Amino acid sequence: MSAVAYGRLRSRKRKERTMNIVTFVVVIICAALVLFPIWWIFRTSLMTNAEIYRYPPSLVPENWLFSNYEKTLKVFKFWKYLWNTMLIIVPSCLAGTFTATLCGYAFARLRFRGKNLIWALCVGSMLLPAMVTLIPLYIGWTRGLGIHDSYMPLILPYFCGGGAFNIFLIRQFMMSIPRELDQAATIDGAGYFRILFSIIMPAIRPAMIVVALFIFIGLWNDLLQQMIYINSSDKYTIALGLTNFRGQLKSDWSLTMAATCLSFAPGVIFYLIGQKYFVEGITLTGMKA
Amino acid sequence: METINKPLKRRSRYNSSEARVAYICLIPAFLGLFFLTYAPLVGVLGISLTNWTGLKSPEFIGFDNYVQLFTKDPYIKDSIIATIYFAFLSVIGSMVYSFFIAMLLNRKIPARGFLRAVFYVPFVLPAAAIYVGWSWLYEANFGFFNFLLSKVGLNKVLFIADSSYVVPSLSLISVWLSGNLIVIFLAGLQNVPSVYHEAAEVDGAGGWKRFIHITLPSMSPIIFYNLLMSLIANLQVVTPALALTNGGPGNSSRFLTYLMYDQAFVNYKLGYACATTFVIFAILAVFTALLFKTSNRWIYNEGGDDK
Amino acid sequence: MNTGKKIGAGLLSAALVLGVVGCGNNEDKETNTTSKGTDTTTNSPDTSSSTTEKVKITYSMWGSAEEGSVTQKVADKFNASQDKIEVEVVSIPWESYMTKLNTQATGGQLPDTGMLKEDGVIQWSSEGMLNDVSAMYEGSDSKPLDSLAYKYQGKTVAYAAANEILLLYYNKDMFDKAGVAYPPSVLDKAWTWDEFVAAAKKLTNDKNGKHPGDDGFDANGIVQYGASVENLPWQLETWTLSNGGGFYSADGTDVRVGEDASIEAIQKVADLYLKDHVAPLSVGQTDDGIQRTIIAGTVAMATNGAWNVGTSLNTAKDEGLKYGVAVLPYMKDKVTLNTGGANVVFSQTKHPKEAMEWLKWYNSEENNWGLISSGIWMPTLQKWYTDEALTHKWVDNPNFPPYEEYKSAVVDYAQSSAARPASWFFTNYTTDFNTLLGSVLGDVWTGKTTAKDAITKNLDALKAAHTGNK
Repeated sequence: MSAVAYGRLRSRKRKERTMNIVTFVVVIICAALVLFPIWWIFRTSLMTNAEIYRYPPSLVPENWLFSNYEKTLKVFKFWKYLWNTMLIIVPSCLAGTFTATLCGYAFARLRFRGKNLIWALCVGSMLLPAMVTLIPLYIGWTRGLGIHDSYMPLILPYFCGGGAFNIFLIRQFMMSIPRELDQAATIDGAGYFRILFSIIMPAIRPAMIVVALFIFIGLWNDLLQQMIYINSSDKYTIALGLTNFRGQLKSDWSLTMAATCLSFAPGVIFYLIGQKYFVEGITLTGMKA
Repeated sequence: METINKPLKRRSRYNSSEARVAYICLIPAFLGLFFLTYAPLVGVLGISLTNWTGLKSPEFIGFDNYVQLFTKDPYIKDSIIATIYFAFLSVIGSMVYSFFIAMLLNRKIPARGFLRAVFYVPFVLPAAAIYVGWSWLYEANFGFFNFLLSKVGLNKVLFIADSSYVVPSLSLISVWLSGNLIVIFLAGLQNVPSVYHEAAEVDGAGGWKRFIHITLPSMSPIIFYNLLMSLIANLQVVTPALALTNGGPGNSSRFLTYLMYDQAFVNYKLGYACATTFVIFAILAVFTALLFKTSNRWIYNEGGDDK
Repeated sequence: MNTGKKIGAGLLSAALVLGVVGCGNNEDKETNTTSKGTDTTTNSPDTSSSTTEKVKITYSMWGSAEEGSVTQKVADKFNASQDKIEVEVVSIPWESYMTKLNTQATGGQLPDTGMLKEDGVIQWSSEGMLNDVSAMYEGSDSKPLDSLAYKYQGKTVAYAAANEILLLYYNKDMFDKAGVAYPPSVLDKAWTWDEFVAAAKKLTNDKNGKHPGDDGFDANGIVQYGASVENLPWQLETWTLSNGGGFYSADGTDVRVGEDASIEAIQKVADLYLKDHVAPLSVGQTDDGIQRTIIAGTVAMATNGAWNVGTSLNTAKDEGLKYGVAVLPYMKDKVTLNTGGANVVFSQTKHPKEAMEWLKWYNSEENNWGLISSGIWMPTLQKWYTDEALTHKWVDNPNFPPYEEYKSAVVDYAQSSAARPASWFFTNYTTDFNTLLGSVLGDVWTGKTTAKDAITKNLDALKAAHTGNK
């Protein structure tokens, strides 16, 4: 390496370091702003109901009432709700991610008759708010199939591609993977499924984790459908359990907020586990070369 | 690419097996599209031609619901405006915000894993609690933001209590919630081949140039996806109105999906609500089609098939 | 395994399409399928204990799972008390209650009996979804107050589960500090609107301690407000009636909200914030009025429902709040509204008699004693208002303000001529009307337009809403 090039590299490194410091400071400021409303919710969970409405408002709870969490857990049967929610989420996540990957593969890589039409239908299905098909689907499940008070109407849709959004996401990611990769394999005589399983899937693992994550969060917070299909309170999920504190005439906000703070932990944990796969580890560059 | 594809095309056996594989892969999608989307949609279309309240049996009334919707409905015009206005602010805001944050989080900074989680957390929180939390910040008389404003001697801003401020205020929440976009951008940034960056750097290309010529093009399918998702999600917005504003003040946050919800589940006009659905559908279709139309011009598909 | 999954999904979806097709067929013969559907819900939990010959009915209520199990315990007492009826309680979270019931109706899955939100009762009745319950109290020693019966076409279709009226609450410490006399709890001495505003002005301070009307008063720097009047549409009806107007004519057929008296009343409420500067901006978006005002000590007087005694004021009282309760001020006529969620018998039920028997039993105060003795619900049966011994039993407990005060400002007020039923007891499409009125008035509260302009411009639409846009 020449001396000039070396000097350029060093100055670049120095520049890089200052850039990183600036970035860090900006990120910290943004993070503080983003966290503020969350702090607001958290501090509310540690207050008495009277304190919530006190004026001027205070940023820090007076007494840090962690006993609110004990009270909350008496009504909000966290572990039971969590278990029930998992009964819905685990099969949905697995099936949804898998079927979305299959469908995404067909749209991203394969050529077949009617592709454009099917793709258009797929995109079209995203344009319908879930609320729109709620009534026909409810009638179908209850009157048609006689399914009452069951998780089936919540889970089975995920065996059908996990929703167009997720198929689309997988497709987009597959399209950003260099085609040379699977073409090389085709020449080696690998079949389409082998290409999918041994080449494409490892490469789009970040996207698959993201899909699983979105299905997870989507079901976690999907109050509307769970409310419609689940009747008995021993089948309640986290989302339904959270409505326990709101009444016609009275809403217990500090307990709602405590339950909220409890209930978002699993989502964050899932994220932290997934993050290792979708933002840290994968580098496609090696495969590219 | 063309040259490599050609020999494959010539052998028709390949094509038919390729198609067969595709159809097998798509079985779940076929089922989902038929049973969960289009069959119910036909049901919705059918209901929209009746005066069904959801309670007693329906009567066929032809296109009366549509006529009423376009000629007499006191909400629909305001509702369309509110929805598009909200979507416009929210899409632009959340795209810029999430891309910016994802770029920053993609750099080698301390505590990166933790910080990435921070920006994602709002997306995980249950919607009802979030909006109530924000309502205390926004409250017109005693809210925290107004408390801060009064501390620095400024006049109160009414935020969600004022028809001029409610949509920007709600959009800000929607931007704050866009942790899912950040996650997708971050995952996408992993796919930007760093060999390109290194090569460009050796050529002496500066940071901005590299961003424009390498990052943006190779991210374009992901940007497109996020743009589309964000557009569709924000045009279908309903939760802030349900949880916070009830469509007010006036009709300033009476978003279309909320309007439909209100008709179907509060005012017992199921047939009418189903007609409204098709207005939502049409608006979404127009915007989505526009987006797809322009997409060919700016999306760079590394591995897509070029038709 | 993957193929197995796919086959499974295929089978299930095939079943689903049959369902959708099936439902299409069923649409015509709605009533038949409907009762069949109800059967499945009521009977399915029954299979395990089918030794008894009891009639099973389901009762749905809004509330948390915990509240549901409390009510189930009450129902168990009823179940044990006789050998004909077995009641099962289903609780549905409040915020999704009507949505769920509505969906259940479309699917023919309604319970036999249950609670119904006030503004839906007449509409459900007009759709033929509710049974006539006029016979419920035949031969009883005490009936519910007349104003608590929901009437459609002259027939009683439901009784309210509880009674609630609108009151004026005030923070005594804030009054003492300003040296202002408390608002009267006796109806005969009720404040006029002007007296109310004058008192509110004395109780409103900016940061320099000045009141509205003083020189140099800073309307943007108010630190304490004198009064707050809830502006939810249904509560606004009170003021229009009080000013000699109203939302509808007495029988609920004509719309009167466009009359000058009605418009003037609404403008007066808006002016509390806009002109008099005695009130915070009220936007009717949250249900925590009393907590934010009287309890937080930011507003000296606030209007709200009687339930607040039990939902928040009792706790605040334990924590040292000194509050009082008074009758509402008036413009021309003394008016308060009474209301209360309904207990109905759905017409889809096969067991209307049993359902009524249960409701009558359940609606007796002893069985809701927790809600009544805490101050959340007021009794519905007349005898609690007229028989002083019962009134004592009800009010003489530490959850309530002093007996004399509450007796006069609430118990007597509720049975006086001032107490009128909210229009949803006898008027159809109040939801449509109130939604539209709320939206029409959106810019009135912030002063961007006047009540006169807003209402006159939209009067035709309001009239159309009143007829359900038919």
